Amino acid sequence: MIAALFYLQWQSFRNRLVTRFKRLKQPKYLFGAIVGGLYLYWYFYRVLLGGGRRTPGNPTVSPEHLVLFELGGALALFVIMLLAWVIPHERAALTFTEAEVAFLFPAPITRRNLIHFKLIRSQLRIFFSVLLLTLFSRRFGGNPLIHGLGWWLILSTLNLHFLGSSFTRTLLLDHGVSNWRRRLLVLGLAGAMATSVWFWAKSSLPALNSADIANFDSILNYAQRLLTAGPALYLLFPFRLVVRPFLAPDTLTFFSVLAPALLIFLLHYLWVIYSDVAFEEASVEASQKLATRIAAVRAGNWQAAGKKQKAKSPWFKLAPTGPLPTALLWKNLIGVGQVFSPRLWIALAAIVVMVLVFGLKDVRHDQNFSSLAAILVAAGLGYSLLLGPQLLRLDFRHDLPRADVLKTFPMRGWQIALGEILAPVTVLIAFQWLLLLAGTGLLIYLPGKQTALFLAIAAGAAVLLPVLDVLLLLIPNAAVLLFPSWIQTGKDSARGIEATGQRLIFALGQMLVLLLALVPAAAAFTGVFFLLKLALAPAAAVPFAALAAAIVVAVEAGFGVMLLGKLFERFDVTEEPVS
Amino acid sequence: MVQVEGLTKLYGEFTAVNDLSFSIQPGEVVGLVGPNGAGKTTTLRCLAGIIPPSRGNVRVGGHDIVRDAIEAKKQLAFFTDEPRLFDYLTVWQHLNFVARIYQVADYERIGATLLEELELANKKDALPGELSRGMKQKLAIACGLLHSPKVIYFDEPLTGLDPLGIRRMKDSILKRARAGAAIILSSHLLHLVEEICTRLLILKNGRKIADGTLAEITRKFSEQSGDASLEEIFFRATSESSTSLPPPVLPLGTK
Repeated sequence: MIAALFYLQWQSFRNRLVTRFKRLKQPKYLFGAIVGGLYLYWYFYRVLLGGGRRTPGNPTVSPEHLVLFELGGALALFVIMLLAWVIPHERAALTFTEAEVAFLFPAPITRRNLIHFKLIRSQLRIFFSVLLLTLFSRRFGGNPLIHGLGWWLILSTLNLHFLGSSFTRTLLLDHGVSNWRRRLLVLGLAGAMATSVWFWAKSSLPALNSADIANFDSILNYAQRLLTAGPALYLLFPFRLVVRPFLAPDTLTFFSVLAPALLIFLLHYLWVIYSDVAFEEASVEASQKLATRIAAVRAGNWQAAGKKQKAKSPWFKLAPTGPLPTALLWKNLIGVGQVFSPRLWIALAAIVVMVLVFGLKDVRHDQNFSSLAAILVAAGLGYSLLLGPQLLRLDFRHDLPRADVLKTFPMRGWQIALGEILAPVTVLIAFQWLLLLAGTGLLIYLPGKQTALFLAIAAGAAVLLPVLDVLLLLIPNAAVLLFPSWIQTGKDSARGIEATGQRLIFALGQMLVLLLALVPAAAAFTGVFFLLKLALAPAAAVPFAALAAAIVVAVEAGFGVMLLGKLFERFDVTEEPVS
Repeated sequence: MVQVEGLTKLYGEFTAVNDLSFSIQPGEVVGLVGPNGAGKTTTLRCLAGIIPPSRGNVRVGGHDIVRDAIEAKKQLAFFTDEPRLFDYLTVWQHLNFVARIYQVADYERIGATLLEELELANKKDALPGELSRGMKQKLAIACGLLHSPKVIYFDEPLTGLDPLGIRRMKDSILKRARAGAAIILSSHLLHLVEEICTRLLILKNGRKIADGTLAEITRKFSEQSGDASLEEIFFRATSESSTSLPPPVLPLGTK
C-alpha cells in the first residue's frame, strides 16, 4: 500500500515538474525562467555563497562560541516545542488536499499508512527548506553536507514533534482534558522548570551587576554558565543532542554525535506512528478550510482567507439608475468593507481629531516638530503609494476569475475598467487624506519655520494623490489582463523559477511605466512652479504647480482607463487560463 | 431573435466551433446537444459575447454581439452550470447590483417577486456562502431574470438541483418561452431536451450535424430502423459509425 502512496507522491511531483518544463515553450515563461534563474544565481551564488569563492572547510567559530550556538539552538528548539503544546487548540488534523481526502480516506488504507504518506510528503517540503537553510548557513563556513544533514535532523524532528503533540493533544481532549487545563499544566511545568533554574542561579552564580548587563560578553558568559550546569543542563540536554550534528566541525565529530540525535528522531517517529488517534474527521474539515483559504488568498481576497465572511452594509445606497462604473465601485467597496468599514474610517478620523484637539494642546511649540511631522506624513504617503496598490486587490486581480460574468454586462470596457479600480483608489485616498489631515493638524497646532511651505505641499499632495493612485492601480490591472497567468488571481497560482522571474520582470516594468508616466507631470509641475515663483512666494506656487501636474496625470490616467477597457474587451477568458 | 452566421472559434490550430449557422425565433426553445468537447459551451460563450468569435457574426435582437455589444447584451441572460456569484454580496445586494448594471428602475418590486417565486425571500440578507447549491442557482436565475431578458442561454441548467428544483426550472424555462423569450439550452440530459425543447441542434467536433424539430431529426436518423428514442438518435448522430453504439443497459433481473 505504501508503494501506491509513494507512486502518488512521485508522479504528482514529476508531473508538476514536466508541466513547468512544457510551459517554457511559451516565451513569457522562458523569459521568466531566464530572469528568475539569473536572480537565483545572483542571490544564492553571489550573495549567499560569496561569489563562488571557496568557503573554508572548517568553521570559523571558536569552540566557546560553538557551545553558545548549541545552547542558543537548544533553547530555540525548547521554546518552539513548548509553544506546540501551548498555542494550538484544534484536534489533530493532518492536512490533506481535498483530492487526497476523496481518494485515500475511503480506500482500504490503514491510519498508519496515511501518517506515513503525510510524513513522506512533508519530506519534500523539508528537503527544500534544508536546501535553502544550507545555502544560507554555508556562508558561515563548515561542511555543507554536515549542515544539510544537521538541518534535516532538526526540521524532521520538529515536524514529528508537531505531529506527535497534536496527537497527544487530541488524546487528552478525548479523555476530558480541555485545552485550557492542558495549557495550564504545560505552562505550570515550564514555570516550575524556570523557577528551579532561577533558584539554582541565585544560589550558585554571582548576580549580574549593572556593568555586567551593559557588557554583551558578560551576558553571554553568564548565559553559558547558567545553561551548562544545574537544572538547565538536564532540561536542555535532549535539545542539545538534536542540534549537535548540525554544529559538528568535522565528519568524525558529526558521526560521534549523530547516534543520539537519530535516537531522538526515532523515538519521535515511534511516538507518532503508534499514536492511535482518529484524525480523519478533523482532517476532512481542515482540508476543506485549507482549500477555501487557498482559493480566497489566490483570488486576492485575504479577508475571506482569515475568517468567515459576514454580510456587510454597503458604503452608500446604490440607485438602480445612474453611471454604470458606480455599480462596480459599490460592489467592491462592500468587499473592502470586510476589513475597512466606514465605521473604521470614522473612528480613525475621530482619533486623529481628538489627539490634535486634546492631546497636543499643551505640547510646547518646537521648531523641529513641524519637520518631524512632515517626514512622518511623507513616509506614510510613500508607503501607501508603494504598498497600497499591492495590498488592495479588489479590482481585476480579484474579479478576473469572474471575467466571464463581467463580460456579459452591458457595459463598455472603459466603464468596467474604471469601476474595477475605483474601490482600491477610494480606500487609498481615504487613508492618504487622513494622513494629510493629521499632518496638517499637527502643523497648525505646532507651527514651525517651514509650516507655510509644508501646508502648501500638503494641499498639493491632496490634489495630486488621487490621480496618482489611479495611475498606480492601472499598472497591475493592465498587467493582470495582459499576463493573467503571471499574477495571482485564480485557483492555481504560478510557482517556480519562471514565476519568480515573471514577478521580477513585472516589478521592473511597473517601475518603468510609472517613471515614464511621471516625466510629463514632473515637467508640468516644474514649469508652473518656476513661472508662478516669479510673482508668488514658493508656498503659494506649490498647490498650483501640483494642480498642473495632477491635470497631466489625470489625462494620462484617463487614457490608461480607456486602454485598460480595451484590454478587457480583448481579453479572451478561454485562451489564457487565469492562474 | 438570435441569428448566427458562419460562427467559428479557433484556439491556435484547434477549431472549437466550425462555421455554425442557425437562427432562433421568439418563443423557441432550442436544445444544444453533443458529446463532450463538441463546442456547446464555446458556442454559448460566443453567443453571449463572453468570447469573441474568430469568424462569423452573431446578432441578438438585431444587434451585433461584437460591434453593438451593449445593446445586444441588454437583451440577454446567460446561466452557467455553476452559479457565478460575488462571495461578499448578499442575495438582495446581488439584485441591487444587477439592477444598476441593467438600469432596472423598478428592481425592488421585480426583485421581491422573483425572490418570492424562487423561495429565497427569507434569505435576502444571506451571503452566497450560506446558501445551498440549489439556492445559489436560484439566486443566479433571479439576477438573470431581473431585467426581463428576451434571449436566454442555459448551460446545463439542472446541475445540482433537487427534483423539485428541476421541476421548477423546467416550468420557468417554459414560462419564459411562452412569454416570448428565445431560449437556447445546452444539456447532456436528453430527456430534458426531449421534454421542453421545440428544436434540436446537434453539434459534433464544433460542427452542426443536425438542426430541426425532434420529429425531423428522428426521421433523418431512423431511416434504417424505424422509430428511435432521442438517446438512440443522439448516439447515431454523434458516433463515427452505427456499430459503435453502446449496448443497452437492461433492468436488474432481466435475462
